[in-house]
Amino acid sequence: MGVFVFLPLVLPLSAWPVARLAETRLHPRTATRLLTAVAVVMAVCSTLCLALLMVVGTAQLPGNPLPDGWSDPEVRAAVPHDEVAGRAAIPALAVVAAACARTLWRHRRVTRRAHRALAGVPGPTVAVLPDSTPYAYALPGGRGRIVVTTALLAGLAPAERRALFAHERAHLTARHHRHLLAAHLAARANPFLRPLRTAVVYTAERWADEEAARTVGDRRTVARAIGKAALLSPGTPVPTLAALAATGPVPRRVAALLAPAPVVRSWPSAFTSVGLAAWGAAAGALVSAMSSANSAVTLFLILHTATPL
Amino acid sequence: MAREDGRARRRGQGELEGQVLGALREADGPVTAAWVQERLGGDLAYTTVVTILTRLLAKDVVSRERHGRSFLWTPTADVARLAALRMRRLLDGERDREAVLASFVTALPPGDEQVLRALLDIPGADAGGTED
Repeated sequence: MGVFVFLPLVLPLSAWPVARLAETRLHPRTATRLLTAVAVVMAVCSTLCLALLMVVGTAQLPGNPLPDGWSDPEVRAAVPHDEVAGRAAIPALAVVAAACARTLWRHRRVTRRAHRALAGVPGPTVAVLPDSTPYAYALPGGRGRIVVTTALLAGLAPAERRALFAHERAHLTARHHRHLLAAHLAARANPFLRPLRTAVVYTAERWADEEAARTVGDRRTVARAIGKAALLSPGTPVPTLAALAATGPVPRRVAALLAPAPVVRSWPSAFTSVGLAAWGAAAGALVSAMSSANSAVTLFLILHTATPL
Repeated sequence: MAREDGRARRRGQGELEGQVLGALREADGPVTAAWVQERLGGDLAYTTVVTILTRLLAKDVVSRERHGRSFLWTPTADVARLAALRMRRLLDGERDREAVLASFVTALPPGDEQVLRALLDIPGADAGGTED
């Protein structure tokens, strides 16, 4: 398998320019689906290769439960720098497993706590909370709930409120939280996938913005709703990864809504920058999948022959 | 609210707080903890009801007055106010909530405010507008 086993670990780097292009050029729906799929494929491949390296690494440890034949020189020769890579893979895989488990656990805890907090609030979907802090959330789970505070509603005109609710409904009906969770888990599995997570968080919001614009029938109203909501809460000290970007996501979303609606294309031609992004992402994911499959099969065959009987 | 007896043990504090406050709000005037316990169907211990009422008092959504040897409880806020308090506590406490709750807007970094005001206050020429 040679260097192929390392390839899926670093191939997510190829997704960085792709994420940038896709989030600005592709229709947000296409971009969200594409980037999530690419992130998941790359994360699975990267973790698989980490697991393969770990098997080789564990086989060298004294007193390990694996068959003795697995520490043969032929097996070790399958992985370049096996003594370093193999051993480094053991803690790396443990870290990945722990990080993913923690993300899943937090996800469930936050969802459960939020639903419990809203228990008893009348209304099937929308929960309007009397609070001086303006915020709005789409809470997945069950039929899903939309949480809005009176402070935010008071700051918006009726049409803008409709835009806000349409935006949150779009999150719930399109089940954006699944994309977000997948992207978060992928970023935990391989830190190189973090830009993809940031991109998915952004494109999911854009997707909901576009749905809201379609429902309300006026792009400018949605843009004003987002802008006003953001201006209502200036200087909220919530350090997010998105804050590191040069121009924050909110002005970019507003600017995108003030521009004409994005065109939905089935699959762009490879000769435009959009096409380059889409095909680049697909190719990166494919190479990643192929090299990890190659490594897995090779190692399986080697270990199969190395195992007595 | 669904209230299966089998699930009574598993009910979280938040849900119970909501139910106790809801029961208080259905009362005609100040009531005792025993009244609340009876109102809730009796599958809660008296001490549990008192504990929850005390917790609600700390959150400033109920008030109490001494009446003989016990307290009479009055709601000062509604269920939505209690939910808002709990939601705020959740949002303040969870740093990783972005993974679950897609926020309508994120905090504006300095500089973005000017960009945003410029985008919205200056009408964008003729393009954009209302047509899709």
